[in-house]
Amino acid sequence: MKLLLAEDEKDLSKALTAVLTHTGYSVDAAFDGVEALEFLEKNDYDAIIMDIMMPRMDGIEALKKIRESGDFTPVLLLTAKAEIDDRVTGLDAGADDYLTKPFAIKELIARVNSMTRRNDSYAPKNLRVGSVTLDTEKQEVTSENSISLAQKETKLLEYFMINPGKELTTERIFEHVWKGDEGVSHDVVWMYVSFVRSKLQAINADIEITGERNGSYSLTLI
Amino acid sequence: MVESIYGEYKEKLQLILDNIVGRLSENNDEQYKKTGDKLYEHLIARVKSDESMREKCERRGLEANAYNALHELTDSIGIRIVCSFIDDVYENVRLIKSLPNIEVVVEKDYIKHAKPNGYRSYHMIIKVTAPFPDVCGNDPGEYFVEIQLRTIAMDSWASLEHKMKYKKNIAESELIVAELKRCADELAACDVSMQTIRNLIKYS
Repeated sequence: MKLLLAEDEKDLSKALTAVLTHTGYSVDAAFDGVEALEFLEKNDYDAIIMDIMMPRMDGIEALKKIRESGDFTPVLLLTAKAEIDDRVTGLDAGADDYLTKPFAIKELIARVNSMTRRNDSYAPKNLRVGSVTLDTEKQEVTSENSISLAQKETKLLEYFMINPGKELTTERIFEHVWKGDEGVSHDVVWMYVSFVRSKLQAINADIEITGERNGSYSLTLI
Repeated sequence: MVESIYGEYKEKLQLILDNIVGRLSENNDEQYKKTGDKLYEHLIARVKSDESMREKCERRGLEANAYNALHELTDSIGIRIVCSFIDDVYENVRLIKSLPNIEVVVEKDYIKHAKPNGYRSYHMIIKVTAPFPDVCGNDPGEYFVEIQLRTIAMDSWASLEHKMKYKKNIAESELIVAELKRCADELAACDVSMQTIRNLIKYS
Protein backbone atom coordinates (compact mmCIF):
# COMPACT_ATOMS: atom_id res chain seq x y z
CA MET A 1 0.00 0.00 0.00
CA LYS A 2 1.25 3.41 -1.00
CA LEU A 3 0.68 6.66 0.87
CA LEU A 4 1.37 10.26 0.07
CA LEU A 5 2.22 12.38 3.07
CA ALA A 6 2.04 16.15 2.65
CA GLU A 7 3.41 17.79 5.78
CA ASP A 8 5.67 20.82 5.93
CA GLU A 9 7.08 20.21 9.43
CA LYS A 10 10.24 18.26 8.64
CA ASP A 11 10.50 16.48 11.99
CA LEU A 12 6.88 15.37 12.04
CA SER A 13 7.11 14.24 8.41
CA LYS A 14 10.20 12.20 9.21
CA ALA A 15 8.59 10.59 12.26
CA LEU A 16 5.33 9.77 10.46
CA THR A 17 7.20 8.33 7.48
CA ALA A 18 9.21 6.09 9.80
CA VAL A 19 6.19 4.81 11.69
CA LEU A 20 4.04 4.28 8.60
CA THR A 21 6.87 2.51 6.77
CA HIS A 22 7.30 0.30 9.80
CA THR A 23 3.57 -0.49 9.68
CA GLY A 24 4.01 -1.76 6.12
CA TYR A 25 3.13 1.25 3.98
CA SER A 26 5.45 2.77 1.43
CA VAL A 27 5.44 6.54 1.83
CA ASP A 28 6.25 9.46 -0.45
CA ALA A 29 6.80 12.70 1.47
CA ALA A 30 5.84 16.09 0.03
CA PHE A 31 6.48 19.30 1.95
CA ASP A 32 3.86 21.59 0.48
CA GLY A 33 0.66 21.49 -1.60
CA VAL A 34 2.35 22.11 -4.94
CA GLU A 35 4.77 19.27 -4.39
CA ALA A 36 1.90 17.00 -3.33
CA LEU A 37 0.12 17.67 -6.63
CA GLU A 38 3.33 16.92 -8.51
CA PHE A 39 3.60 13.54 -6.79
CA LEU A 40 -0.04 12.81 -7.64
CA GLU A 41 0.49 13.56 -11.28
CA LYS A 42 3.08 10.82 -11.55
CA ASN A 43 1.93 8.19 -9.06
CA ASP A 44 -1.18 6.69 -7.65
CA TYR A 45 -1.75 6.23 -3.93
CA ASP A 46 -4.06 4.24 -1.72
CA ALA A 47 -4.49 7.20 0.60
CA ILE A 48 -3.22 10.73 1.16
CA ILE A 49 -2.40 12.31 4.52
CA MET A 50 -2.32 16.05 4.22
CA ASP A 51 -1.65 18.94 6.56
CA ILE A 52 -3.93 21.96 6.08
CA MET A 53 -1.39 24.63 6.92
CA MET A 54 1.36 24.39 4.32
CA PRO A 55 3.42 26.94 2.36
CA ARG A 56 2.96 27.59 -1.40
CA MET A 57 -0.46 25.90 -1.48
CA ASP A 58 -2.45 24.94 1.57
CA GLY A 59 -4.09 21.55 2.09
CA ILE A 60 -7.63 22.71 1.36
CA GLU A 61 -6.69 24.21 -2.00
CA ALA A 62 -4.62 21.17 -2.93
CA LEU A 63 -7.50 18.91 -1.96
CA LYS A 64 -9.93 20.89 -4.12
CA LYS A 65 -7.57 20.57 -7.08
CA ILE A 66 -7.21 16.83 -6.49
CA ARG A 67 -10.97 16.31 -6.50
CA GLU A 68 -11.46 18.60 -9.50
CA SER A 69 -9.05 16.42 -11.48
CA GLY A 70 -11.31 13.43 -10.87
CA ASP A 71 -8.97 11.79 -8.35
CA PHE A 72 -10.92 10.06 -5.58
CA THR A 73 -8.04 8.79 -3.47
CA PRO A 74 -9.08 8.94 0.21
CA VAL A 75 -7.67 11.98 2.04
CA LEU A 76 -7.04 12.39 5.75
CA LEU A 77 -6.54 16.03 6.75
CA LEU A 78 -4.29 17.04 9.59
CA THR A 79 -5.20 20.29 11.24
CA ALA A 80 -3.68 22.32 14.00
CA LYS A 81 -6.86 24.27 14.39
CA ALA A 82 -9.63 22.84 16.44
CA GLU A 83 -12.16 25.17 14.88
CA ILE A 84 -15.32 23.45 13.69
CA ASP A 85 -15.43 25.64 10.58
CA ASP A 86 -12.04 24.35 9.43
CA ARG A 87 -13.09 20.75 9.73
CA VAL A 88 -16.29 21.47 7.84
CA THR A 89 -14.40 23.28 5.07
CA GLY A 90 -12.04 20.33 4.80
CA LEU A 91 -14.77 17.73 4.63
CA ASP A 92 -16.75 19.84 2.16
CA ALA A 93 -13.70 20.16 -0.05
CA GLY A 94 -13.62 16.39 -0.35
CA ALA A 95 -11.67 15.09 2.65
CA ASP A 96 -12.70 11.71 3.98
CA ASP A 97 -11.51 12.18 7.52
CA TYR A 98 -9.53 14.58 9.67
CA LEU A 99 -7.33 14.48 12.72
CA THR A 100 -6.57 17.42 15.01
CA LYS A 101 -2.99 18.06 16.08
CA PRO A 102 -1.61 16.94 18.40
CA PHE A 103 -2.74 13.38 17.77
CA ALA A 104 -1.68 9.95 18.86
CA ILE A 105 0.27 8.05 16.20
CA LYS A 106 -1.80 4.98 17.03
CA GLU A 107 -4.97 6.79 16.06
CA LEU A 108 -3.46 8.07 12.80
CA ILE A 109 -2.49 4.54 11.80
CA ALA A 110 -5.92 3.19 12.70
CA ARG A 111 -7.61 5.88 10.59
CA VAL A 112 -5.30 5.29 7.62
CA ASN A 113 -5.93 1.54 7.86
CA SER A 114 -9.65 2.15 7.93
CA MET A 115 -9.52 4.44 4.89
CA THR A 116 -7.47 2.09 2.75
CA ARG A 117 -9.77 -0.81 3.66
CA ARG A 118 -12.80 0.94 2.17
CA ASN A 119 -10.89 2.13 -0.83
CA ASP A 120 -13.34 0.73 -3.40
CA SER A 121 -16.40 2.76 -2.56
CA TYR A 122 -14.74 6.03 -3.48
CA ALA A 123 -14.61 5.54 -7.19
CA PRO A 124 -17.54 6.87 -9.22
CA LYS A 125 -19.80 4.41 -11.08
CA ASN A 126 -19.04 5.84 -14.49
CA LEU A 127 -15.56 6.76 -15.65
CA ARG A 128 -14.55 8.44 -18.87
CA VAL A 129 -11.17 8.76 -20.56
CA GLY A 130 -10.97 9.86 -24.19
CA SER A 131 -13.94 8.44 -26.05
CA VAL A 132 -14.25 5.53 -23.63
CA THR A 133 -16.82 5.20 -20.85
CA LEU A 134 -16.68 2.47 -18.25
CA ASP A 135 -19.87 1.54 -16.42
CA THR A 136 -18.58 -0.32 -13.37
CA GLU A 137 -22.04 -1.41 -12.30
CA LYS A 138 -23.07 -2.97 -15.63
CA GLN A 139 -19.46 -4.12 -16.19
CA GLU A 140 -19.51 -2.69 -19.66
CA VAL A 141 -17.10 -0.53 -21.62
CA THR A 142 -18.32 1.67 -24.46
CA SER A 143 -16.72 3.68 -27.21
CA GLU A 144 -18.01 3.21 -30.76
CA ASN A 145 -19.43 -0.17 -29.73
CA SER A 146 -19.85 -1.61 -26.30
CA ILE A 147 -18.56 -4.87 -24.89
CA SER A 148 -19.01 -6.71 -21.61
CA LEU A 149 -16.22 -7.11 -19.10
CA ALA A 150 -15.50 -9.78 -16.53
CA GLN A 151 -15.38 -8.61 -12.91
CA LYS A 152 -11.58 -8.45 -12.73
CA GLU A 153 -11.37 -6.80 -16.14
CA THR A 154 -13.73 -4.09 -14.87
CA LYS A 155 -11.61 -3.56 -11.77
CA LEU A 156 -8.41 -3.45 -13.79
CA LEU A 157 -9.76 -0.97 -16.34
CA GLU A 158 -11.27 1.12 -13.55
CA TYR A 159 -7.86 1.34 -11.89
CA PHE A 160 -6.29 2.44 -15.18
CA MET A 161 -9.04 4.98 -15.87
CA ILE A 162 -8.76 6.53 -12.42
CA ASN A 163 -5.03 6.91 -13.07
CA PRO A 164 -4.69 7.82 -16.75
CA GLY A 165 -1.14 8.47 -17.93
CA LYS A 166 0.45 7.16 -14.73
CA GLU A 167 2.97 4.34 -14.71
CA LEU A 168 1.42 1.44 -12.82
CA THR A 169 3.72 -1.44 -11.96
CA THR A 170 2.67 -5.08 -12.17
CA GLU A 171 2.97 -5.25 -8.36
CA ARG A 172 0.74 -2.21 -7.80
CA ILE A 173 -1.88 -3.53 -10.20
CA PHE A 174 -1.80 -6.96 -8.60
CA GLU A 175 -2.11 -5.43 -5.15
CA HIS A 176 -5.03 -3.32 -6.24
CA VAL A 177 -7.06 -5.79 -8.29
CA TRP A 178 -6.19 -9.19 -6.84
CA LYS A 179 -5.61 -8.12 -3.22
CA GLY A 180 -6.50 -10.99 -0.92
CA ASP A 181 -7.16 -13.53 -3.69
CA GLU A 182 -5.55 -16.85 -2.94
CA GLY A 183 -3.57 -19.01 -5.34
CA VAL A 184 -3.06 -16.27 -7.93
CA SER A 185 0.36 -15.33 -9.23
CA HIS A 186 1.53 -12.02 -10.71
CA ASP A 187 1.22 -13.58 -14.18
CA VAL A 188 -2.49 -12.89 -13.98
CA VAL A 189 -1.79 -9.17 -14.50
CA TRP A 190 -0.32 -9.68 -17.97
CA MET A 191 -3.16 -11.98 -18.95
CA TYR A 192 -5.86 -9.52 -17.91
CA VAL A 193 -4.01 -6.59 -19.45
CA SER A 194 -4.11 -8.64 -22.68
CA PHE A 195 -7.85 -9.23 -22.29
CA VAL A 196 -8.61 -5.57 -21.67
CA ARG A 197 -6.33 -4.50 -24.52
CA SER A 198 -8.23 -6.62 -27.03
CA LYS A 199 -11.55 -5.41 -25.71
CA LEU A 200 -10.50 -1.78 -26.07
CA GLN A 201 -9.50 -2.55 -29.65
CA ALA A 202 -12.80 -4.32 -30.26
CA ILE A 203 -14.77 -1.18 -29.40
CA ASN A 204 -12.44 1.06 -31.43
CA ALA A 205 -11.27 2.90 -28.34
CA ASP A 206 -8.97 5.91 -28.62
CA ILE A 207 -7.07 4.84 -25.51
CA GLU A 208 -4.68 1.94 -25.06
CA ILE A 209 -2.66 0.24 -22.36
CA THR A 210 1.03 0.49 -23.14
CA GLY A 211 3.80 -1.48 -21.47
CA GLU A 212 5.56 -4.81 -21.54
CA ARG A 213 4.88 -8.07 -19.76
CA ASN A 214 5.82 -7.94 -16.04
CA GLY A 215 6.82 -4.28 -16.30
CA SER A 216 4.87 -1.06 -15.80
CA TYR A 217 1.71 -0.26 -17.71
CA SER A 218 0.10 3.02 -18.52
CA LEU A 219 -3.22 4.09 -19.99
CA THR A 220 -2.61 6.54 -22.82
CA LEU A 221 -4.51 8.27 -25.57
CA ILE A 222 -3.76 6.88 -29.02
CA MET B 1 -43.72 -23.01 -66.44
CA VAL B 2 -42.79 -19.43 -65.62
CA GLU B 3 -39.34 -18.49 -66.83
CA SER B 4 -36.71 -17.87 -64.15
CA ILE B 5 -36.09 -14.23 -63.27
CA TYR B 6 -32.43 -14.89 -64.07
CA GLY B 7 -33.34 -16.10 -67.58
CA GLU B 8 -30.47 -17.74 -69.44
CA TYR B 9 -28.00 -16.77 -66.68
CA LYS B 10 -29.52 -19.01 -64.06
CA GLU B 11 -27.14 -21.93 -64.61
CA LYS B 12 -24.17 -19.59 -64.73
CA LEU B 13 -24.90 -18.39 -61.24
CA GLN B 14 -24.59 -21.91 -59.90
CA LEU B 15 -21.33 -22.39 -61.83
CA ILE B 16 -19.83 -19.23 -60.32
CA LEU B 17 -21.00 -20.20 -56.87
CA ASP B 18 -19.50 -23.70 -57.16
CA ASN B 19 -16.25 -22.26 -58.44
CA ILE B 20 -15.80 -19.82 -55.55
CA VAL B 21 -16.87 -22.29 -52.90
CA GLY B 22 -14.46 -24.79 -54.45
CA ARG B 23 -11.58 -22.36 -54.20
CA LEU B 24 -12.45 -21.45 -50.62
CA SER B 25 -12.74 -25.03 -49.44
CA GLU B 26 -9.46 -25.91 -51.17
CA ASN B 27 -7.80 -23.17 -49.14
CA ASN B 28 -9.46 -24.50 -46.04
CA ASP B 29 -8.29 -28.09 -46.61
CA GLU B 30 -4.79 -26.93 -47.36
CA GLN B 31 -4.65 -24.88 -44.16
CA TYR B 32 -6.04 -27.78 -42.16
CA LYS B 33 -3.40 -30.15 -43.49
CA LYS B 34 -0.66 -27.62 -42.77
CA THR B 35 -1.65 -26.45 -39.29
CA GLY B 36 -4.43 -28.67 -38.00
CA ASP B 37 -6.67 -25.59 -37.77
CA LYS B 38 -9.51 -24.87 -40.12
CA LEU B 39 -9.83 -21.42 -41.67
CA TYR B 40 -13.55 -21.57 -41.25
CA GLU B 41 -15.91 -23.84 -39.38
CA HIS B 42 -18.46 -24.14 -42.18
CA LEU B 43 -19.90 -22.14 -45.00
CA ILE B 44 -23.29 -21.95 -46.62
CA ALA B 45 -23.79 -20.83 -50.16
CA ARG B 46 -26.91 -20.28 -52.22
CA VAL B 47 -28.28 -18.79 -55.38
CA LYS B 48 -31.18 -16.63 -54.27
CA SER B 49 -34.42 -18.37 -55.15
CA ASP B 50 -36.59 -16.98 -57.91
CA GLU B 51 -39.30 -16.21 -55.46
CA SER B 52 -37.17 -14.20 -53.04
CA MET B 53 -35.47 -12.35 -55.86
CA ARG B 54 -38.80 -11.32 -57.38
CA GLU B 55 -39.97 -10.24 -53.95
CA LYS B 56 -36.82 -8.19 -53.40
CA CYS B 57 -37.17 -6.44 -56.77
CA GLU B 58 -40.70 -5.54 -55.90
CA ARG B 59 -39.66 -4.25 -52.49
CA ARG B 60 -37.07 -2.04 -54.14
CA GLY B 61 -39.52 -0.79 -56.76
CA LEU B 62 -37.66 -2.54 -59.56
CA GLU B 63 -39.18 -4.50 -62.41
CA ALA B 64 -38.57 -8.20 -61.90
CA ASN B 65 -36.13 -8.95 -64.73
CA ALA B 66 -32.69 -10.45 -65.20
CA TYR B 67 -30.95 -7.08 -65.54
CA ASN B 68 -32.25 -5.78 -62.24
CA ALA B 69 -31.70 -9.11 -60.49
CA LEU B 70 -28.10 -9.43 -61.68
CA HIS B 71 -26.93 -5.87 -62.09
CA GLU B 72 -28.96 -3.58 -59.86
CA LEU B 73 -29.10 -6.03 -56.97
CA THR B 74 -25.95 -7.74 -55.85
CA ASP B 75 -27.07 -10.70 -53.78
CA SER B 76 -28.16 -13.24 -56.41
CA ILE B 77 -25.14 -15.25 -55.24
CA GLY B 78 -24.59 -15.33 -51.48
CA ILE B 79 -21.98 -17.01 -49.32
CA ARG B 80 -21.80 -17.04 -45.52
CA ILE B 81 -18.52 -18.09 -43.96
CA VAL B 82 -18.67 -19.00 -40.28
CA CYS B 83 -15.39 -19.10 -38.35
CA SER B 84 -14.31 -20.18 -34.87
CA PHE B 85 -12.21 -17.12 -34.09
CA ILE B 86 -12.27 -13.42 -34.97
CA ASP B 87 -8.81 -13.46 -36.54
CA ASP B 88 -9.97 -16.25 -38.85
CA VAL B 89 -12.61 -13.92 -40.24
CA TYR B 90 -9.94 -11.41 -41.22
CA GLU B 91 -7.70 -14.16 -42.59
CA ASN B 92 -10.55 -15.30 -44.85
CA VAL B 93 -11.13 -11.72 -45.98
CA ARG B 94 -7.45 -11.49 -46.87
CA LEU B 95 -7.58 -14.76 -48.82
CA ILE B 96 -10.72 -13.78 -50.73
CA LYS B 97 -9.07 -10.53 -51.77
CA SER B 98 -6.05 -12.44 -53.05
CA LEU B 99 -8.12 -14.73 -55.30
CA PRO B 100 -7.59 -14.11 -59.03
CA ASN B 101 -10.42 -12.67 -61.16
CA ILE B 102 -12.05 -11.01 -58.18
CA GLU B 103 -12.57 -7.38 -57.39
CA VAL B 104 -13.92 -6.08 -54.09
CA VAL B 105 -16.75 -3.61 -54.72
CA VAL B 106 -18.05 -2.91 -51.22
CA GLU B 107 -16.56 -3.85 -47.88
CA LYS B 108 -18.11 -3.20 -44.47
CA ASP B 109 -16.57 -4.18 -41.17
CA TYR B 110 -19.46 -4.49 -38.75
CA ILE B 111 -17.18 -6.34 -36.35
CA LYS B 112 -15.08 -3.27 -35.64
CA HIS B 113 -18.07 -1.01 -36.21
CA ALA B 114 -20.98 -2.98 -34.76
CA LYS B 115 -24.49 -1.86 -35.66
CA PRO B 116 -26.42 -0.12 -32.87
CA ASN B 117 -28.50 -3.24 -32.22
CA GLY B 118 -25.30 -5.24 -31.60
CA TYR B 119 -25.06 -6.93 -35.01
CA ARG B 120 -21.53 -7.97 -35.88
CA SER B 121 -20.32 -9.42 -39.21
CA TYR B 122 -17.93 -8.65 -42.02
CA HIS B 123 -19.69 -7.88 -45.31
CA MET B 124 -18.18 -7.92 -48.78
CA ILE B 125 -19.60 -7.53 -52.23
CA ILE B 126 -17.20 -8.81 -54.85
CA LYS B 127 -17.28 -8.81 -58.65
CA VAL B 128 -16.20 -12.07 -60.23
CA THR B 129 -14.99 -12.26 -63.80
CA ALA B 130 -16.35 -15.37 -65.53
CA PRO B 131 -15.51 -16.98 -68.88
CA PHE B 132 -18.98 -16.38 -70.29
CA PRO B 133 -21.16 -13.33 -70.98
CA ASP B 134 -23.19 -11.41 -68.40
CA VAL B 135 -26.53 -9.61 -68.49
CA CYS B 136 -24.90 -6.36 -69.65
CA GLY B 137 -23.35 -8.02 -72.67
CA ASN B 138 -19.76 -8.12 -71.32
CA ASP B 139 -17.76 -11.17 -72.33
CA PRO B 140 -15.99 -12.26 -70.17
CA GLY B 141 -18.88 -11.42 -67.90
CA GLU B 142 -18.97 -9.88 -64.45
CA TYR B 143 -21.11 -11.26 -61.64
CA PHE B 144 -21.75 -9.99 -58.14
CA VAL B 145 -21.30 -12.18 -55.09
CA GLU B 146 -22.23 -11.12 -51.56
CA ILE B 147 -20.16 -12.62 -48.79
CA GLN B 148 -20.84 -12.45 -45.04
CA LEU B 149 -18.14 -13.56 -42.65
CA ARG B 150 -18.65 -13.99 -38.92
CA THR B 151 -17.82 -16.11 -35.89
CA ILE B 152 -20.03 -18.93 -34.64
CA ALA B 153 -21.20 -16.69 -31.79
CA MET B 154 -22.09 -13.84 -34.14
CA ASP B 155 -23.89 -16.32 -36.36
CA SER B 156 -26.15 -17.72 -33.66
CA TRP B 157 -26.87 -14.20 -32.45
CA ALA B 158 -27.81 -13.10 -35.98
CA SER B 159 -30.19 -16.01 -36.43
CA LEU B 160 -31.93 -15.18 -33.16
CA GLU B 161 -32.15 -11.52 -34.04
CA HIS B 162 -33.55 -12.49 -37.45
CA LYS B 163 -36.36 -14.41 -35.76
CA MET B 164 -37.12 -11.40 -33.61
CA LYS B 165 -37.19 -9.06 -36.58
CA TYR B 166 -39.59 -11.12 -38.65
CA LYS B 167 -42.02 -11.98 -35.94
CA LYS B 168 -44.43 -9.16 -35.42
CA ASN B 169 -46.07 -8.20 -32.14
CA ILE B 170 -43.70 -9.84 -29.71
CA ALA B 171 -44.69 -9.06 -26.15
CA GLU B 172 -42.14 -6.84 -24.38
CA SER B 173 -40.19 -6.40 -27.61
CA GLU B 174 -38.35 -3.36 -26.27
CA LEU B 175 -36.98 -5.38 -23.42
CA ILE B 176 -36.03 -8.21 -25.75
CA VAL B 177 -34.20 -5.82 -28.05
CA ALA B 178 -32.24 -4.46 -25.09
CA GLU B 179 -31.42 -7.95 -23.85
CA LEU B 180 -30.37 -9.03 -27.35
CA LYS B 181 -27.99 -6.07 -27.43
CA ARG B 182 -26.57 -7.13 -24.07
CA CYS B 183 -26.12 -10.68 -25.39
CA ALA B 184 -24.33 -9.36 -28.48
CA ASP B 185 -21.88 -7.49 -26.26
CA GLU B 186 -21.34 -10.53 -24.05
CA LEU B 187 -20.77 -12.81 -27.03
CA ALA B 188 -18.35 -10.24 -28.46
CA ALA B 189 -16.57 -10.28 -25.11
CA CYS B 190 -16.23 -14.07 -25.32
CA ASP B 191 -15.02 -13.94 -28.92
CA VAL B 192 -12.39 -11.37 -28.01
CA SER B 193 -11.29 -13.28 -24.89
CA MET B 194 -11.03 -16.57 -26.78
CA GLN B 195 -8.94 -14.92 -29.48
CA THR B 196 -6.69 -13.43 -26.80
CA ILE B 197 -6.26 -16.79 -25.07
CA ARG B 198 -5.51 -18.41 -28.41
CA ASN B 199 -2.79 -15.81 -29.01
CA LEU B 200 -1.41 -16.28 -25.49
CA ILE B 201 -1.13 -20.02 -26.11
CA LYS B 202 0.35 -19.52 -29.56
CA TYR B 203 3.02 -17.01 -28.54
CA SER B 204 3.91 -18.32 -25.09
